[in-house]
Amino acid sequence: MFTLRSDLPLRGGGSGRFVASLVMVLVFIAAFAVTLSSYVGVLISGWERGVSGTLTVQVPAGENFDAEVAKTLDVLARHPAVAHASLVPRAQVDALLKPWIGEGAVKDLPLPALIDVEMRDSDPAAVAAVDASVKAAAPRAVIDEHRVGLARVASFARGLGGVAAAIIVLVTAALAVTIIFATRASLTECAQVIEVLHVVGAKDGYVAGQFARRALLQAVTGGVAGLALYAPALGIVAVLAARVDPEILPPAHLPLAHWLALALLPPAAGVLAMLSANITVRRTLAAKI
Amino acid sequence: MNPPTPQVEKKLPGDTISLNQVGLRYDGGPEVLSDLSLTIAPGSFHFLTGPSGAGKTSLLSLMYLAKRPTRGRVLLFGEDTTAAKRTRLAIMRRRLGVVFQDFRLLDHMTAFDNVALPLRVAGVAPGVVQRDVTELLKWVGLENEMDKHPPALSGGQQQRVAIARAVVNRPKLILADEPTGNVDDAIALRLMTLFVELHKIGSSVIIATHNHALVERFPFPRLHLEDGVLTRMPAARN
Repeated sequence: MFTLRSDLPLRGGGSGRFVASLVMVLVFIAAFAVTLSSYVGVLISGWERGVSGTLTVQVPAGENFDAEVAKTLDVLARHPAVAHASLVPRAQVDALLKPWIGEGAVKDLPLPALIDVEMRDSDPAAVAAVDASVKAAAPRAVIDEHRVGLARVASFARGLGGVAAAIIVLVTAALAVTIIFATRASLTECAQVIEVLHVVGAKDGYVAGQFARRALLQAVTGGVAGLALYAPALGIVAVLAARVDPEILPPAHLPLAHWLALALLPPAAGVLAMLSANITVRRTLAAKI
Repeated sequence: MNPPTPQVEKKLPGDTISLNQVGLRYDGGPEVLSDLSLTIAPGSFHFLTGPSGAGKTSLLSLMYLAKRPTRGRVLLFGEDTTAAKRTRLAIMRRRLGVVFQDFRLLDHMTAFDNVALPLRVAGVAPGVVQRDVTELLKWVGLENEMDKHPPALSGGQQQRVAIARAVVNRPKLILADEPTGNVDDAIALRLMTLFVELHKIGSSVIIATHNHALVERFPFPRLHLEDGVLTRMPAARN
């Protein structure tokens, strides 16, 4: 039988507003951590899908440039480990560089030729074999194995994801500690009410339930307020991000799980608050007579 | 008053309460109660008298299980309370009704909710709570004050709410600590008649009081405490 009727005074009193506003801030922070973690996950999986099993061969500008490029393409096309090799058109290279160095400068640069290579087989031995063949055809050519670069970017991204996870853990701990101390203060405040409840035959569980229900309400209220604060903040970040060139900051479609996780933050805060309050009251009361 | 459905007795009721060689001290101080032995029979009515500081409130708080004795044993309805778990004590308290001099009403609740508290705490169904509390408030003459908060009631009205709260569970034992201490004599008399009626319908009653007029007027035996030691006195003759 669940009822919102409470035997405790000050349901919306000072300590209640304190708990609710603290939960609001914590949920706001946790929500950004959840989004950061999701965004990082989407970026990593996008990169991996895009570049796994690919190489880029660069043939630097210089003497015999056209001949070297043609020879390299020929070697790659015939190599057993290579599925497909194609020259990246100059216009596309210009487009890639434009956001970084500007349109005018790009035109006159002695750019290397870029050859996109799709590997049939991308184990290190195959990559080494391709590398050897390319070097034989064009000694100054450089093979750019995306996996190495990607691995570094991905580990940076995973680091960010780890930070996000740590934020969530810390926020959870902060919430529990807040509730424990607020409940203890409240127990002192409500000492007379508790005494009366005991005299009329309330078990500790009943008293704990009263505090737990109050903590639940405060935390859910604070949690919803935190999300309400978070939504426009995320909107602003999204608008700013959309204005960045997609080559620098790829757009990410956050998965449904991310939005569900956000929606679960207020109830999760509520349940955590309820448990913390319940345990605190039971422990405090159990120490009496 | 139509009593709420009586609770089924698990065992045959023996003595209402019995104390055996009980001593009580606070935080290692001297004993406020020493070698106290007494037995209260079911359906009895006692005054508890004695000068201030004699230990009346301490004795009552042992009886309503707010304190455990530092030595000796307290048996309530035949059950040893000395080593009982807190949960068990809570269940036992539901068969007691306690009235305080300072009423101890919860000011943030209406008179109705104050009286309903013991039933709600015991998980009684809302319909039964509504019926019993309404009847009881009528019985104490407060049917028009049910929705008022205690600060809006007079002292006498507050004490009647407190008595209603104490008896709403149909307690076997009613303990009152100076219940008439904060009201004038006419109201004190009226409150006493409520206790006498409750006694007539089967509750044991113990009233700690300083009020000599009441003790003289009502022919009930006295338990007299002096420096933490108990003596029994026969009923005053009037």
